[in-house]
Amino acid sequence: MANSNLPRRIIKETQRLLSEPAPGISASPSEDNMRYFNVMILGPTQSPYEGGVFKLELFLPEEYPMAAPKVRFLTKIYHPNIDKLGRICLDILKDKWSPALQIRTVLLSIQALLSAPNPDDPLSENIAKHWKSNEAEAVETAKEWTRLYASGA
Amino acid sequence: MGISWSSNSTNTNTHRRRRNSYLNPHQHLHQHQHQHPYPPHLPPPYYYPPHSHSHLPPPQGYYYTSSNPSTTSYMAPPPPQQQQQTPHPPFYFSSPSFSSSSSSSSNINNNNTYNSNYAPNSMPPPPPFYAAPPPITPPPYVDHLTAKKIRNDVNLHKHTLRLQLDHLNPDHHLVSFVFDALFDGSITISYMAKEEEKCRFVPLYPDAFEPITFPFQKGVGQKFCQPSGTGIDLGFFELDDLSKPSPDEDVFPLVICAETRVRDDETHDDYVLDSSSPHMQITQAVLEKSNGSGPFQVKVVRQILWIDNVRYELRELYGIGGSAAADFDDNDPGKECVICMTEPKDTAVLPCRHMCMCSECAKALRHQSNKCPICRQPIEELIEIKISNGDQ
Repeated sequence: MANSNLPRRIIKETQRLLSEPAPGISASPSEDNMRYFNVMILGPTQSPYEGGVFKLELFLPEEYPMAAPKVRFLTKIYHPNIDKLGRICLDILKDKWSPALQIRTVLLSIQALLSAPNPDDPLSENIAKHWKSNEAEAVETAKEWTRLYASGA
Repeated sequence: MGISWSSNSTNTNTHRRRRNSYLNPHQHLHQHQHQHPYPPHLPPPYYYPPHSHSHLPPPQGYYYTSSNPSTTSYMAPPPPQQQQQTPHPPFYFSSPSFSSSSSSSSNINNNNTYNSNYAPNSMPPPPPFYAAPPPITPPPYVDHLTAKKIRNDVNLHKHTLRLQLDHLNPDHHLVSFVFDALFDGSITISYMAKEEEKCRFVPLYPDAFEPITFPFQKGVGQKFCQPSGTGIDLGFFELDDLSKPSPDEDVFPLVICAETRVRDDETHDDYVLDSSSPHMQITQAVLEKSNGSGPFQVKVVRQILWIDNVRYELRELYGIGGSAAADFDDNDPGKECVICMTEPKDTAVLPCRHMCMCSECAKALRHQSNKCPICRQPIEELIEIKISNGDQ
């Protein structure tokens, strides 16, 4: 099916992701659609997500790399820039996309977003409000959600 | 390392011509391109030193001349990663320049002159260089150019330029640097020198320091050290004046002109040479003291080439060091096009100077975006630079 005409770039990116995975990140293509990746990101140390294993899905649209990959959290996460559907507010996935970016750099950016939540550019209004009004409490909630939903079990 | 002329230039030209039909203001440029034949392949470079010297760049460059006749109006953005670029040999493109080839040198400061110089039917024998549309009036489409190569007979390694105290003559400063020269020639050191027409440099204060000239013999990786006793007492100048060029950027505190006169006819019989024309590389620098004390730091602001009466400004391309097609390794991320990750990169973006794409992806990108993939600056022009190893 869609795998027959896979661009060299996607094949290369996939090979490199598998042979030299970025620390704390794994991404493997689905067997029946090489444009669909199952992704796992470990919660960065010293973040409220430490110890969590977060599942994401990543899809490379037909226009890739001229268009950004579509990425979504499958694991529930308490983060001001990620909404309850797992959608991610990240500029490089939107208007700041550049074809020089890759699956690897996108996932590294998402990992970095976990380390540095940005409540000033929220996707989840409530979580952002919580973060700004009482950060300590919001961080506790994020840790609680990590334990509840991202324990890797 | 040599250069091979892009094999798809025909396509590009056709494309350009088609687009050009409704872009009269630029038409002359393209006709110029069609008109002059691609130069024959140049001889193999022979300036690599026998010993391995990884930092030794060949005195050759890829030059891109633009037609902006004013040397001061080019708005080159500050290169953000200059420091990281030093390990790469200096492949350059240059922009802008005025073309004042001897047969059409009148009124070089007039923008309109350019048009008449390059009018299709009244053009003088074309110089063996490439003229590109002026960046001052960006065309409504993104142009895709193919670079021409000109050879730099003498090259001062700009990162090696130093100013040191003459221990035998307190307060006097001596210049040192490393340079490559394919022919014998001379080096002239001037201070507070103003650029005049035809790349002549005239000191504003000859009483303080008369320009001094030293002969050199050909050779690569030569170290030049100005002899003791020939230095300058910079106390004559204000620190402030030494730390920047004149507002018009025509006077620089330190100007070093490296000049070769002897040309090997055998290697240049491809095109007619004016044997009286020197081949020069001019390095313009400012002298800074951190916090107003300590030794002077030399900061090279600009390098200019003057070859066969054409002036080129040298600019480094970012990322070209990894792009050599001949030893292209399909799995080396530094050499491949950032978009397809398959073809070697051969196309640079102007004005940001990121060499990052193959020509096919560059064409595809133009339909999608006007932004450089590396820095997201708007693309004004794309320039294709084919590099290959061997005797091209």
